[in-house]
Amino acid sequence: MTLDLPAHAQERLKGLRGSAHSTGVFTSDFSVNEFLLVRKAGFEPIGLCVGSCVYHVGIQYGSWSKSQEMDVLSKAMYHARELAMSRMRAEASAMGADGIVGVKLTIKRLEWDEQLLEFIAIGTGVVHGEGHKGFRAHDGGPFTSDLSGQDFWSLLHAGYRPVEMVMGSCVYHVAHRGVLSGLGTVGRNVELENFTAAMYEAREIAVERMQFEAAAAKAEGVVGVDIHEGSFGWKTHVIEFFAIGTAVLPLDQEIAPDKIPDPIMVLSVND
Amino acid sequence: MGLFDRFKPKAPAPEELRRQADILMSLRGNRIPTATLERLQGAASGAKPWMATLTPAELLITRSHGLKPIAAISATCWLHYGFSWTLGHSQGWEAALARLAQEAKACGANAVLDVKMRTIPLETGESMDFTLLGTAVKIDGLAPSPDPIIATVPALEFVKLLEADVVPTGIAIGAHYQWLSDWNNSANQAWMGNIEAPQLSALWNDVRNRAHANLRESARPRGNGVLAHVNFSQMFDREREVNERKFKEYLARYIVIATTVDARRGTPLPHDISMVVDMCAGKTPLQGSKPHHQSYASNERDGAI
Repeated sequence: MTLDLPAHAQERLKGLRGSAHSTGVFTSDFSVNEFLLVRKAGFEPIGLCVGSCVYHVGIQYGSWSKSQEMDVLSKAMYHARELAMSRMRAEASAMGADGIVGVKLTIKRLEWDEQLLEFIAIGTGVVHGEGHKGFRAHDGGPFTSDLSGQDFWSLLHAGYRPVEMVMGSCVYHVAHRGVLSGLGTVGRNVELENFTAAMYEAREIAVERMQFEAAAAKAEGVVGVDIHEGSFGWKTHVIEFFAIGTAVLPLDQEIAPDKIPDPIMVLSVND
Repeated sequence: MGLFDRFKPKAPAPEELRRQADILMSLRGNRIPTATLERLQGAASGAKPWMATLTPAELLITRSHGLKPIAAISATCWLHYGFSWTLGHSQGWEAALARLAQEAKACGANAVLDVKMRTIPLETGESMDFTLLGTAVKIDGLAPSPDPIIATVPALEFVKLLEADVVPTGIAIGAHYQWLSDWNNSANQAWMGNIEAPQLSALWNDVRNRAHANLRESARPRGNGVLAHVNFSQMFDREREVNERKFKEYLARYIVIATTVDARRGTPLPHDISMVVDMCAGKTPLQGSKPHHQSYASNERDGAI
């Protein structure tokens, strides 16, 4: 059997150069599968969108015995991410993208200075193949999402579209235990209620902030939520909760749940 | 032959010397070394066995889609970066690519599949080897190409792309570096509390934009798009003193490496896509993408006790 190739592909394999493309060169960090699925979903990648920000994070000392939000650090972590994200979105708007798929948000510490963090947001700007503008966010700008190409295809086929990548952060200082309370628990298994409570509060603040962003984006829900717990070179009792996900809305033409085909079950013979 | 004779340095045989000289002269003259050329032409004519870097499963896919492997081909350029580390990377890969294309053409291929970029992890001063390895293939019913395409993707992805009228045509490299001299030490605002370091942000922005512009320039002759799989960036600082004035300098470097594609817009993938649940334990988005526990992660050991 011979490969039934489109004529243009055959020409290239014979070594013939196709006519020059008028569109210029698009850039993307998609894998082959992501690229094919995003096109299958009716979108075309047009360019890599990047936003970055080198940020000097201020210093804040928590009081030893008090559980509290470290608002200076919270604000820094949020502001720097917001700067990187909004720059990325501005690049996407400038190239006329309807949205950004596969956003990766990373934080790097610059080695020579403890307080200098670099925030990078990177994703692929896409346009709808038939120029449908209904996929844009509520403000008419491009949607943003951290979904992979595969997730993007699945989301559209589940009857939803991505609106905005939403996030909330909270840097929190967990109070140290007093010396006397330590003595009281020698030889006993007890819950350290203050620590538990501190985790609850910090997590709640981060998730609420994310939910607030989703409401502001007029979204119906948020998929792919993850709550990271991290520390970026702070003292041992300081921890960041960072909630992130993609806010979604139903498609203009909603898909009834019974119209969604069941997945096929297979057993692969991979290890 | 004495017991220890084998440890004595042996004078190279004349044919060995000839071969080494031939390789050197061929590289200088932009030709394929004679022995390699003979091997490739032998494989192309069928006089010698074909060779492929493909697994048996991949061989199945290539056969069922009318592709025939000819030879495993490779190219190397060992480059000393005297002037710029960053730009050396672009130069090294480009040189290796040109040599690979030459070998592909010599064996009458239409395409090279599964091209891998390799480097031997040797710290030999200010130099590095840029090596490419792939499988030259011909396509049933097509004449040999004067300009074979070079695809970094494996066989399966190669045919998937072709069916969607996307041709993976080659490799593009974009590299750029830039120094920032911070004369009045204003990039470091440690005393300020929460604040962006705008000079460093701008430095990154410049370097990245230039690297991506170089990438598009490098891709333009081969296609209308790139899938960039390697984004590498680094920033360094160093102290300088000029006329008893101390200041800092920052170096930012950025390398991006991509597969170029020639894609017809709007050609759909001619396959239906259905969701599959794999009953074999493995990664599937239907089971979430994050690990389900990490509380005991540090306690695991691989292998038998």
